[in-house]
Amino acid sequence: MGVKNIIKKELSRVFTDKKLVISLFILPGVLIMVIYSIMGGLISKLEEDIDTHIPIVYIQNAPEDFKHTIDSIEYIGEIDYLSSSDSTEPVKDGILKGDIDLLVVFDEGFKQTIQDYSQPGDLIPEVRTFYNPSEEYSVAARGEFLSSVLNTYQQNLLVERIDNIELLQVFNIDIDPDKSIIVDESKASGKFLAMLLPFLMNIMLFQGAMGLGMDSITGEKERGTLASMLLSPIKRSEIVLGKLISLGILTGLSAVIYTVSVAIGLQNLSGGMGDIGSIKFTPVQMVQLFVLLIFLVYIYVSMVSLVAVYARTQKEAGTYVTPLYILVMLGSIMTMFSPGGSKETMHYAIPIYNGTITIQDLLVGELTMANFGITIGSLALLAFLITTCITKAFNSERVMFNA
Amino acid sequence: MIEIKELTKIYKLTKKQMMERKTKKNMMKAVDNISLIASPGEIYGLLGPNGAGKTTALRCIATLLKPTQGSITVGGYDTVKESKNVRKKIGFLTNEIKLDPQFSPKYMLNFFGKLHGLDDETIEKRREELFEYFEIKGFENKKIDELSSGMKQKASIAVSLVHDPEIVIFDEPTTGLDIVTARNVTDYLKLLRDKGKTVIISTHIMTEAEKLCDRIGIIIKGNLVLEGSLDEIIKETNSNDLEDAFFELYKIHNKEGA
Repeated sequence: MGVKNIIKKELSRVFTDKKLVISLFILPGVLIMVIYSIMGGLISKLEEDIDTHIPIVYIQNAPEDFKHTIDSIEYIGEIDYLSSSDSTEPVKDGILKGDIDLLVVFDEGFKQTIQDYSQPGDLIPEVRTFYNPSEEYSVAARGEFLSSVLNTYQQNLLVERIDNIELLQVFNIDIDPDKSIIVDESKASGKFLAMLLPFLMNIMLFQGAMGLGMDSITGEKERGTLASMLLSPIKRSEIVLGKLISLGILTGLSAVIYTVSVAIGLQNLSGGMGDIGSIKFTPVQMVQLFVLLIFLVYIYVSMVSLVAVYARTQKEAGTYVTPLYILVMLGSIMTMFSPGGSKETMHYAIPIYNGTITIQDLLVGELTMANFGITIGSLALLAFLITTCITKAFNSERVMFNA
Repeated sequence: MIEIKELTKIYKLTKKQMMERKTKKNMMKAVDNISLIASPGEIYGLLGPNGAGKTTALRCIATLLKPTQGSITVGGYDTVKESKNVRKKIGFLTNEIKLDPQFSPKYMLNFFGKLHGLDDETIEKRREELFEYFEIKGFENKKIDELSSGMKQKASIAVSLVHDPEIVIFDEPTTGLDIVTARNVTDYLKLLRDKGKTVIISTHIMTEAEKLCDRIGIIIKGNLVLEGSLDEIIKETNSNDLEDAFFELYKIHNKEGA
């Protein structure tokens, strides 16, 4: 009875306050959406830009038949030919500055050296490429030039030397590479989101819990409104539960809004990588995700509340909560640089971190029931411990009344 | 009925508090071995200067603080062992405990009525009565934040009395109120007394104690130095009025151990 009334009051406190609704839910949602759609748009534009960019390539000592190869494969690029007497320094300078994408230098007498080859140990000429790995255009230009132009040219020369090139081939690998790719579409796009989403969800859940929890507990303590509740004939644990559950509902709601905003914002990303709709969940997975999120929300809310209940002022609470925030960040960031699945069972017993890896496993479809169970078990234990601590604090006159 | 037996309350001081108080002792005795009885149908007043221990004593009665030594029973229930039952029976008002400024007096009254386990009908009836008496009706739906301090205090009083408590504990109930509202409040306390409720208040206003309280306990530096009706106190101290009596006692007891 007490719990229900407190939840009702806490929720109406937020939802009857237009300013609070805007600052908690609407504004962050819109901001996140805008930020991510700008980010997604920029990434797509960058990829598109590299694809359409016409590479600027300088070639020194190009053999006559090399030019034919370039023409015959219809290589798209702005090519300038240099003779052996031209200096390559200005070109290298241009590559460094990013004005020029690639310099290809054939050894002098390249063709002659090849033709003179007769037995092992004879000189083999070299083609050197100069490029700038920090320039996207340059990297792309070199890759394209190696695979399409130089490769073809090398094949042509081989044919000239030994009529039957198949003698060298022995076997083929993937004549039709497209057919070789066996991929679960939802898993592939899941991989990308599995990197980003657990991190985002964790951070957003915690952030929501942070603002709300500090106001609802330390704020009420400061304003003297919490004490009025302590005077009513209900158990302290009922007040704690009422507070935590209502905070959980609000935090969960804000996390849903934030995540949906990210999803909408990321839809601009090319290749469907940001398409959250491409992740397919089985009903079991959906239930798992739901249960996990409920536990995570409760843990974060109670962590913040524990800190908030000991703080005398909201400012103090802000200071105390920062290390927790960093802890949650750390736990979430770790998943960004590790692939989903195949973790040691032990990892699933580490609270907070297990939340992120479980979300990650879910997104790539590799969560086992055992690991899920361990995660929920350890989170439930932590939730119980923290709730007990908070109730103890509510019973302490020193904490509540500074006495 | 409130029965306090040898109540002592000691606060542990933090280093910061020790510095602020310029003391090397890490303990502070806020209330020192007080015993008193407040009976139904009377208004008992704790009179004393700021920091004498009045609020601490009242908070112990209201179950918010636990006695370091001694015990308190309220309506037959022990404040430590049966605190929930005690809270059912009391209405407690103090300056530091406030109503959520974002809600209206009506909402708060309903909320606390429900926490006290009252049904909607009873709450409605109580609201009619209390809001009528304290003239809250005109602003019952306004946010508490938007009310004047007098209105806020009246709303707090009404909310603290929603469950028609047997025992009323008011900590400086008229502080910050204008003369009309203060009179309104003290009149209501008399009304409660006449209904047979046990009323205990704290005050440092002599006239309030004189006019309102049936019995007065003078508390100085945590000690209950004298207790009795106004006449008894004046007679005991051989003075003309309560103020003289108080200063007579203050001179004696403030020196001791200072």
